[in-house]
Amino acid sequence: MISKKIIYLLLLVLSSLSSFSQEKFTISGTISASNSNESLIGVNIVAKGTKSYAITNEYGFYSLTLPTGEYEIVISSIGFSTLSERISLTQNTKKNYALDEAGQELKEVVINTDKTTVNIRKPEMSVNKLSISAIKKMPVILGEVDVIKSILFLPGVTNAGEGQSGFNVRGGGADQNLILLDEATIFNSSHVFGFFSVFNPDAIKDLKLYKGGIPARFGGRVSSVLDIYQKDGNSKKFGVSGGIGLVTSRLLFEGPIVKDKGSFLVAGRGSYAHLFLKLADNENSAYFYDLNTKMNYKLNPNNNLYLSGYFGRDLFSLNKSFINTYGNATLNLRWNHLFSDKLFSNLSLIYSDYYYGLNLDLVGFEWNSGIRNYNIKYDFKNYISDKMKLNYGLNGIYYDFNPGVIEPSNATSGIIYRQLEKKYAFEPSIYIDAEQNLSQNLSIYYGLRYSMFYRLGSSNVNLYQNNQAVVFDQDTQIYEKATPIGTQFYGKNEVIASFNNLEPRFAASYQLNDNESVKASYNRMTQYLQLITNTASPTPLDVWTPSDKYIQPQILDQVAMGYFKNFGDEKYSLELETFYKKTKNRIDYIDGADLIANEAIEQIVLNGEMRAYGLEVLLRKNTGKFSGWLAYTLSKSEQRTPGRNATETGINEGNWYRSGYDKLHNLTLTSTYDFSEKWTFGANFVVQTGQPVTFPNSQYEYGYPAITIPSFGLRNGNSLPTYHHLDVSATYVPKSNKKKNWKGEWVFSIYNLYGRKNAASISFRQNETTGSNEALRLSIFGIVPGISYNFKF
Amino acid sequence: MKIYKIILVLITCIFFSSCEDVIDVALDTAPPKLVVFASIEWKKGTSGNNQKVKLTTTTAYFNTVIPTVSGATVFITNSKKTKFNFIETPNTGEYLCADFIPQIDETYTLTIITKGETFTATESLKGVSSITNITQRNDGGFTGNEVEIKSFFNDPGDADNFYIFKTKSNISPIPSYDIFDDRFTQGNENFGIYSNEDIKTGDNLDITLFGISKRYFEYMRKLTAIAGSSSGGPFATPSATVRGNIINQTNSKNFALGYFNVSETDFRNYIIK
Repeated sequence: MISKKIIYLLLLVLSSLSSFSQEKFTISGTISASNSNESLIGVNIVAKGTKSYAITNEYGFYSLTLPTGEYEIVISSIGFSTLSERISLTQNTKKNYALDEAGQELKEVVINTDKTTVNIRKPEMSVNKLSISAIKKMPVILGEVDVIKSILFLPGVTNAGEGQSGFNVRGGGADQNLILLDEATIFNSSHVFGFFSVFNPDAIKDLKLYKGGIPARFGGRVSSVLDIYQKDGNSKKFGVSGGIGLVTSRLLFEGPIVKDKGSFLVAGRGSYAHLFLKLADNENSAYFYDLNTKMNYKLNPNNNLYLSGYFGRDLFSLNKSFINTYGNATLNLRWNHLFSDKLFSNLSLIYSDYYYGLNLDLVGFEWNSGIRNYNIKYDFKNYISDKMKLNYGLNGIYYDFNPGVIEPSNATSGIIYRQLEKKYAFEPSIYIDAEQNLSQNLSIYYGLRYSMFYRLGSSNVNLYQNNQAVVFDQDTQIYEKATPIGTQFYGKNEVIASFNNLEPRFAASYQLNDNESVKASYNRMTQYLQLITNTASPTPLDVWTPSDKYIQPQILDQVAMGYFKNFGDEKYSLELETFYKKTKNRIDYIDGADLIANEAIEQIVLNGEMRAYGLEVLLRKNTGKFSGWLAYTLSKSEQRTPGRNATETGINEGNWYRSGYDKLHNLTLTSTYDFSEKWTFGANFVVQTGQPVTFPNSQYEYGYPAITIPSFGLRNGNSLPTYHHLDVSATYVPKSNKKKNWKGEWVFSIYNLYGRKNAASISFRQNETTGSNEALRLSIFGIVPGISYNFKF
Repeated sequence: MKIYKIILVLITCIFFSSCEDVIDVALDTAPPKLVVFASIEWKKGTSGNNQKVKLTTTTAYFNTVIPTVSGATVFITNSKKTKFNFIETPNTGEYLCADFIPQIDETYTLTIITKGETFTATESLKGVSSITNITQRNDGGFTGNEVEIKSFFNDPGDADNFYIFKTKSNISPIPSYDIFDDRFTQGNENFGIYSNEDIKTGDNLDITLFGISKRYFEYMRKLTAIAGSSSGGPFATPSATVRGNIINQTNSKNFALGYFNVSETDFRNYIIK
């Protein structure tokens, strides 16, 4: 029976590959914004009256194959006026289109009716896109536009708590997100320990978050992919834009290198609160800055070169006795080449690095650590026919982990110089996937990724009795570090441990009618890098470590199903999805694990597992003066680490427990109202279950004089109070001076309008003066007003 | 060195300290458990004959009275089977001994019999270096305006050593603990650190340096972490009950909290200048 099905499937594939009697031709090209030549991602190109469509890729390229004939081509994208053109397709045609920004003066005939229904048809689900213009209208803390904070308003996305780093997708850890900036991996997405994100909104073009049904071209993290693209820069004319805010100021220059052929972009952002501290003779300092650069050059219609870079740093200094510096840097060279109008390729050479340094002069201690990676990627997109698209490629990443160099910070320090054992790894992978229309109503996506991972020397590797780096003390029922029985030396590039995994991906969409569809997807993902973190939210102190003899790669399986509907003449859309995911080898830490400068991470971790499931609802109003969305997520996220054999208790007695970011209910509302040409208003509202925490269930005294010690029940058995806040913003655009070409806008915002004292944590302590016990609530933000001015000329 | 903790406390303080409120929280209470405080301390220059063990139980978190355990049988034996009996001062839960014989590297076993269950624990006595020098500066600590006291000693280079620095000031009922090892300073001069912004000239510090076992080091590190104010903060590690080395021989499920430790100590009294 099964073999028959496979044969049938194969026949279907083959039949779609073979050409029919009617001759077909391809129309291909790039789509860009008319005022800047900035290429546009995710634009829909539809041949009206047919089921055929194309979507521009990350470089604005599209390719659509159709039988000979007359067509009305409709091109549409959020934030741009829809363009339509009649073409007569009698040969392969190259056609580039430029779209006008919505609201710009209309130069060509523009239609706004007859919207496309591509989102209904495409076998893509669990994906959210946010345009940077939508992000900029959202009210934010201190008026600082924040890419990461904005995605927290999407269904299935949350974070551990206010002002905390990272984000959690469908109950996954923050370390399980692959964050790409122009294809380069960003290891830490936050500034100032999570209050701001590292992405300068002015330099960002587009972002896409994959929560499930992740295409085979992505790998290396199990939970999600946040794919962020930087702007290319205006190749028509020189321009400057920027903004002045309470925390940061931004400045961006862009312009042509050669008109219409090449452009550059340089954007800088920096905070300046520390300057006020200096003026006040305060020796403490905290600031961050980042720099985005990009150049692109069109060699000829078939070849494009892109060079992009990012550099960001945080510096935090306290009375010169504590100095902390950290940040990401990336450099990326890409070459787009069109082999034919149906075969697009991109070759990328990427370098990225994350640095973390700490100087603790008080105890004479200096620590520098980091991770570097070198990445080569070659991707192909093959637009075989109007019914089938093939993607394939290969990728190799070399990692160089430096867990730390410890040095004395001054001459009198007793600290001894030490280089913690460096770690090296190589992660090659290949993939192929296909998107295929099987019938008028049924589209499927199927793909396979083969990933490999080699932990390499040179390195000394600890050896343990029975290969157990953690031992369980039967008497005291405690997990403890094992003492190595020896070490084994591996020479340069010698393989210490190797892994390989097949990662199948599948998705299907069945169109019920023009406005409704059901979709399903499955994906398996493997993660070979582990973030060693023992806190609810990652801190910059956390170090990444590769899988090795003792730490296994995480493997995730996720299934999702969904119902999608456009209604009210496509004014509204509804997306309903459910998901279930399970991750093997999620590491957990033995009680009291000491993570900093720990050379033998294997001695404090145990391999456990994780599961999450839930329901997501997203209701959007897409058009009109009033637009926005309502997202609700009902979900559970749990993990457990059972004992390795019957005599061990496991962590938390081997029971499932809520992960640190488990939020049963999460409701968000995001809205904007275009009141007039001058005024736009925005409002956000969030209400969600409080963060899981462990409260004490008794106390006892120990020591002389006695201190009181809390005693705890099972892990994460309690919750902080319900978390909610309402934020509002108003954007004022004064009448622009046409002569001067200067465009300015004021953004006023109030975060937490009604002053909710949300608990960031509740801690329990013995009062130092009275000696009695008390519970202490920490709330970070009260009412926070913000103001910023943005300009462009 | 409690660097990790210092950093976490710092990060937490800098950004959040202005918005702390003491609140009421309703908490569940678990059934009481036996708690053993048996820290045998042989102060340099003394006989070490007088020692004390205290038995209490756990109680509701916000209770102000800690219940004591009376009527137990408590004794310590050394490797030569010499038995040192601890006799309760009636109804205090404090069990005293006046004939204990301390000896470096000797192994001792504590036995407690209460309510028909027998608890035991074994440790060996760790020696410790002497405090060689104490320095004071008044522009120390992280804020730069705290009184900072460093007590120096020489770490022996031939072994991994573990230390507790306990400082008790006259201005707080709670002693301050600095728990560290010689991981980064093997064989060098090392120091324990204490800083406080409220302390002033004439105040009094009792400083005690303990030599401890690796296991007690791990125990005290975890214990002071959950007792400290960083507990439960956004960067805190998951809170869990800290288990010590007391084993219930009768019913292992009904485990006891606390620890049996045997240390040599060096003591200094210091008056703030």
